[in-house]
Amino acid sequence: MTKFLNLLAAGLTSGAIYAIFAACVTLWYRVSNLLNFAVGDFAMIGAIGTALLVQDQHLPFAVAVIIVLVAVALIGWLFDVGVLHYALDRSTRGARVVAVFFYTFGLSLVLEGIARAIFGTDVYAAPPIWGGPASQVLDFHIQHAGVLTIALAVIVGLALWAYLRFTVSGKAVAACGESSLGARIVGISSGVLRRRIFILTAVLAALFGVVESPVTGFVYNSGPSISLIGVVAAGFAAYNKPGRAVLAGLGIGVIEALLGGYVSTQYNDVILYAALFVIIIMRPEILGLGAESDLAGVTV
Amino acid sequence: MTAVRPETGTGTVRPQAAWGWWQRLDATSASMALGVAVVGIVALVALNGNYTGLVVTTGVGYAVVTVGMVAQIGYSHQLAFSQSVFMGLGAYGAALLETRYNQGVLVSMLAVIVGAVVVAYLIGAVVTRAPGLALALATLLLPLFLYELVTYSSYLGTFAGISGVLPLWSGETYAEGMVRTGVVAVIILAVVVWLVMRIMRSGVGLQLMALAADERLAEGMGVNLRKRRLGVFIFGSVLAALGGAIVASAQGIVTPDLVNESAEVTLLIMVFVPGRRNVIAAIVGAIVIEWLSTSTEFISTNLPTFEGALLILVLLIEPDGIVGLCQRGWEAVRRKRVERAVAAKEETA
Repeated sequence: MTKFLNLLAAGLTSGAIYAIFAACVTLWYRVSNLLNFAVGDFAMIGAIGTALLVQDQHLPFAVAVIIVLVAVALIGWLFDVGVLHYALDRSTRGARVVAVFFYTFGLSLVLEGIARAIFGTDVYAAPPIWGGPASQVLDFHIQHAGVLTIALAVIVGLALWAYLRFTVSGKAVAACGESSLGARIVGISSGVLRRRIFILTAVLAALFGVVESPVTGFVYNSGPSISLIGVVAAGFAAYNKPGRAVLAGLGIGVIEALLGGYVSTQYNDVILYAALFVIIIMRPEILGLGAESDLAGVTV
Repeated sequence: MTAVRPETGTGTVRPQAAWGWWQRLDATSASMALGVAVVGIVALVALNGNYTGLVVTTGVGYAVVTVGMVAQIGYSHQLAFSQSVFMGLGAYGAALLETRYNQGVLVSMLAVIVGAVVVAYLIGAVVTRAPGLALALATLLLPLFLYELVTYSSYLGTFAGISGVLPLWSGETYAEGMVRTGVVAVIILAVVVWLVMRIMRSGVGLQLMALAADERLAEGMGVNLRKRRLGVFIFGSVLAALGGAIVASAQGIVTPDLVNESAEVTLLIMVFVPGRRNVIAAIVGAIVIEWLSTSTEFISTNLPTFEGALLILVLLIEPDGIVGLCQRGWEAVRRKRVERAVAAKEETA
């Protein structure tokens, strides 16, 4: 039982990583119909940027975090104004898988390349917000950074759920996802809304990188693989329910930890990816891609 | 010897008996394949097995994969992220057969092709049932899956990979073996180019283009969607496996880097940036990007930045890549020339 509880705690911590990315991916997909593969790179910038500003420039932690978040917001704004505005607002082409995937793939590559040039290949971790050794409740070890990570994931999931469900702005986000043209006709500025959400999710991911990095550490190329799992976890929420995306992310993390604990520490990820692959292929409707979906038959 | 065109009664046609075999090969496809073979062999012989020769031979291996992607993604619009996985299957398959089971190159190549057909059929029979975005998302997991598998499996050499992979055609010296391997790789590429061009210029190619334009319309026209989707998936996957085996033979080693998600992104960039609907562009893209990744430290370090920026630029400006951009430019020049000629005629009149 103790082993199970410790595995559960570890799984919830790693699941929180996927959960928050899944929530960010879902929210942005809801407004833009594009997948965000750069969300993990924003987390990497948050974690490594804060670590370097604190360690090398000796800035106070709070100041370093604010500087990094502003920088990430600026990158998000520049990408939207310089690329997405031209690609989506001025384009006459319909939804295409190329657009769904490749703009943020490109951004991810650029961020990864720049990070390698600036930060090198070392592993970095921001200073922990809640330091000290792991707390022990009965036989149950709890890492402080893990607790913060899970708490942040739950808070973000609940906040995004409430935002979409109870606010006018949230309804506007959903309207943009349903039909960008229709949203514009009823007076919703889909471009502005998309830009705000992109910046918000980038900042959230960066903040999450800062909180989580004491647990796993970040390298310049940490982003893509966690973004991928975030995208897959978001798929299990049909890309339109951030709250469910958080649950899916947590679930994936727990299954990964349990497979590691009870089946194989080496092949837990292999089994996990195989299981996710089989689920997507056998039940594509889980992704909200039934025959009636607008994106079900889109091509390159 | 000439003959009169039967349908019009004018002009000349080549006699069927003498040129029949060439026409059956499809003159355009065969000319292009022949051109690729000649240029490739001349270049590799001139490089005489030096380091650039190795890079070009590796690039030819990647080109076999990207030419398959032109058929799969460019013409058929089937976006699957499984090419690096099948490259890995081909490379690791050849490496295992040659180093662990002492098989020759020919046997390992044939085994890789047969193995890739079987695996692609098994995966394809399931994944091609999924609609466009689900297919792409599901296959996104495959590179992650295989990368984890090869890095932890001692049978597959873990992080160090498997060394001692045989060249496609060995020589008395390393340089001679490298030239010979390059020549064999180029001949395989030429055959692949011919095959892809031949398919795309046939009735099957028309069906694939109809399927790419509108699946429902294609189905209405009698195209068997499931069969065609599966066929394209298997074809692209087998070429990826063959390309992987060539890359492993050229380098003499196979490592997990060949199958990770960055390798998949690099393959996509090799196709999208030069032009995803053009076979020659895909070959040039593969060789140039392979050369860039090993040319100087500055370029190899910053390659992801350049690749990402280029990908975004291409998607923004011209989704058909550099070739599409050139075609648009050429069309504009021609249109202007015609307009000028018309204006000059009107002035004269």
